[in-house]
Amino acid sequence: MKKYLYAITFLLAALTAMPAAIAAADLEINTPAIAAIQGSMQARHGQLAPYYASGAVGLTRDGLVAVRDANAVPLKDRQGVNSLVAAENKDRNALYKEIANANGHPEWESEVRNTFAQRWVQKAQGGWWYQDAGGGWAKK
Amino acid sequence: MSTGRLSRLCLFYLCWLAFSAQAIDRIEIHADQVSHPAAQLENFSGTLDMDGRWRGKATLKQGDAAQLAREYPLPVAVSKGTVRGTAEFSGEQRELRQLKGDLFLKDAAFSDEAGLHAGEKVDLHLDATAMRDGNRWRWSGRLDGTNGEVFWQPLYLAKVDIGFQGRGWLSDAALAVEQGRLSMGGVGAATLTATLHRPDNRLAALDVSAENLDMGGAYAGVLKPFLEKTMLGNLEMAGRTDVRVGMRESELKSFDVALRDFDVEDMNGKFAFYKVNAHIPWALNDVTQAVLQYGGGHLLKMRLGPTDLAATLNGYSLTTPVLRLPILDGTLTLTDVSAAFLQNQWHWHLGAALSPISMADFSHAVGWPAMDGKLAAGIPMVTYTNGMMTMDGAMGLDIFDGSITVDRLALQNPLGLAPRFQADIHMRNLDLDLLTRTFSFGAMTGRLDGDVNNLVLSRWQPEQFDASFRSSPGRYPKKISQRAVENISALGGAGAAAAIQRSFLRFFKEFNYSKIGLSCKLRKGVCQMDGVEPAKEGYVIVKGSGVPAITVLGYNHSVSWGELLSRLQRVTQGNTAPIIK
Repeated sequence: MKKYLYAITFLLAALTAMPAAIAAADLEINTPAIAAIQGSMQARHGQLAPYYASGAVGLTRDGLVAVRDANAVPLKDRQGVNSLVAAENKDRNALYKEIANANGHPEWESEVRNTFAQRWVQKAQGGWWYQDAGGGWAKK
Repeated sequence: MSTGRLSRLCLFYLCWLAFSAQAIDRIEIHADQVSHPAAQLENFSGTLDMDGRWRGKATLKQGDAAQLAREYPLPVAVSKGTVRGTAEFSGEQRELRQLKGDLFLKDAAFSDEAGLHAGEKVDLHLDATAMRDGNRWRWSGRLDGTNGEVFWQPLYLAKVDIGFQGRGWLSDAALAVEQGRLSMGGVGAATLTATLHRPDNRLAALDVSAENLDMGGAYAGVLKPFLEKTMLGNLEMAGRTDVRVGMRESELKSFDVALRDFDVEDMNGKFAFYKVNAHIPWALNDVTQAVLQYGGGHLLKMRLGPTDLAATLNGYSLTTPVLRLPILDGTLTLTDVSAAFLQNQWHWHLGAALSPISMADFSHAVGWPAMDGKLAAGIPMVTYTNGMMTMDGAMGLDIFDGSITVDRLALQNPLGLAPRFQADIHMRNLDLDLLTRTFSFGAMTGRLDGDVNNLVLSRWQPEQFDASFRSSPGRYPKKISQRAVENISALGGAGAAAAIQRSFLRFFKEFNYSKIGLSCKLRKGVCQMDGVEPAKEGYVIVKGSGVPAITVLGYNHSVSWGELLSRLQRVTQGNTAPIIK
């Protein structure tokens, strides 16, 4: 239960936080497509959270997630983690694009992405790994 | 892998003896034990003649695979394991000419840095010979993996049981397998020839041919990891297949798949095909004919009959004039089918016709309320391109003894996260008796026309529409039961039901009406409702006529869609007392 609470808080916090970078863009904007993507990400978060905690998966500087250290995962589960990461990134890319589109400014996509990248890291739990500005991995 | 290091070690001993000896024609040495930091050698022997030819032999009793591997540029780091076996080597002057090894690697663990190519508790047996031939090395031998767990992205082998036997050559520019045979426990064996460019290991050419592969084993062991998270990620298969694949410069050039008595079933219950026999030859730059038959199966719970399909393949396109698919008690006929895979996207078009199928069967199969009658449909032409499915012309459905046509249909991202469906729907002459019985609404007799224009569904939820339903024109019996009156009143949000209960009308189970009509214009989650004509307060939904007659009024012009849905649900779920304000 606690895990899900964390997951939901984490997602909500990251999704609703007002960005400093583009004050003009409404990151809280809601369309059926955005709701669908958020729902899909929320459903997946419970599966990803243990891998964030173990350091197998980290948050990248471009607002995505990546397999950081597959050695932290038993051999039989490694392809599963690859698939989770691929699915999560597909959703994240779609989310940034949809939010930019919903704001009527498709060209804002990369700014939306950058803002989210910072938010994900700020809202990450202690012990999770993220990429710093130089692309190196750091532990929060 | 340890033989190279060993040979250098031996060579050192031999050279040292050769230079320090004088006036002899041949040197032989023998050592019971030779120590190396990573290995224990036994029965080391070597000879050197005065023409500079040398050969030797050694038994490796116990070597530390991790330490030995560190000296070679392997793609993975070995962290654990022991090596034992024998090695023979010979050469001339400073050049190694021949190498033969029979080595057992036991309980090995290895991994690359990213952990994407890793193994644990792996047992390997290598029995190979390499001979220098000009600038190349000719090699032959076999490698058997008999135990352990390996993840070689994306493949995962829970229990290693693979064997490779072959011969070929190695140069600075290429690695060639002139003849190879790869076998995998529970799947079968394939013969292959291959050439890899070196040093980047790019595939120059590959030809694989396998017969009689066990599809059950092949799916679980090889295919499933590639299909995870797709529609084909949770299947069970049985049957045999023959496969041939040809690749040139990393590009697929041809394949040929034959399925024999093949069964496949989706464990999520979406589809199943049984007794599949197929021959699908394909070539990138050639036209081929593919055939596929199956004995039966189901698609979305709808029974499929014996089917015989044929199509022409031309590179990344498929065409066929007609495909006939027996489904339930009718046939779905696809005509003028054309599909192409271009720039990583599918594009296709086809026409379709469904010969009458029993609604009883259909409604049961898709889990709808039991329906009577027959369903037939025709679609002139559907086109799918750039993630958008559109229909040219109208789709016609014969249902409820009337007809439904769907016009201006478009479907965006049908398989994406947020599919968006648009259409205009027109219903004519539907038999109200059949309709109300199906949806347990309370009996009504008569005919109904309806239009749902500008319908937009987002994720299959209504976003907007302009709907209106009304009695069909013409003369026919028009009766409405007391229960239907109550239900319609409930839909209107308030109404005449209470009045019925209070008045003499409660003695009648059925009333006459002259017309029925209800409309809803949905925008932003709110339904603007209207009826057949305005009333003093609100609007008329059912206009009575004759004796006993009844008139049902609606009062709320503006109702939230969610509220309307829950009312409808209460009404059709066998309900009871409608809620009357």
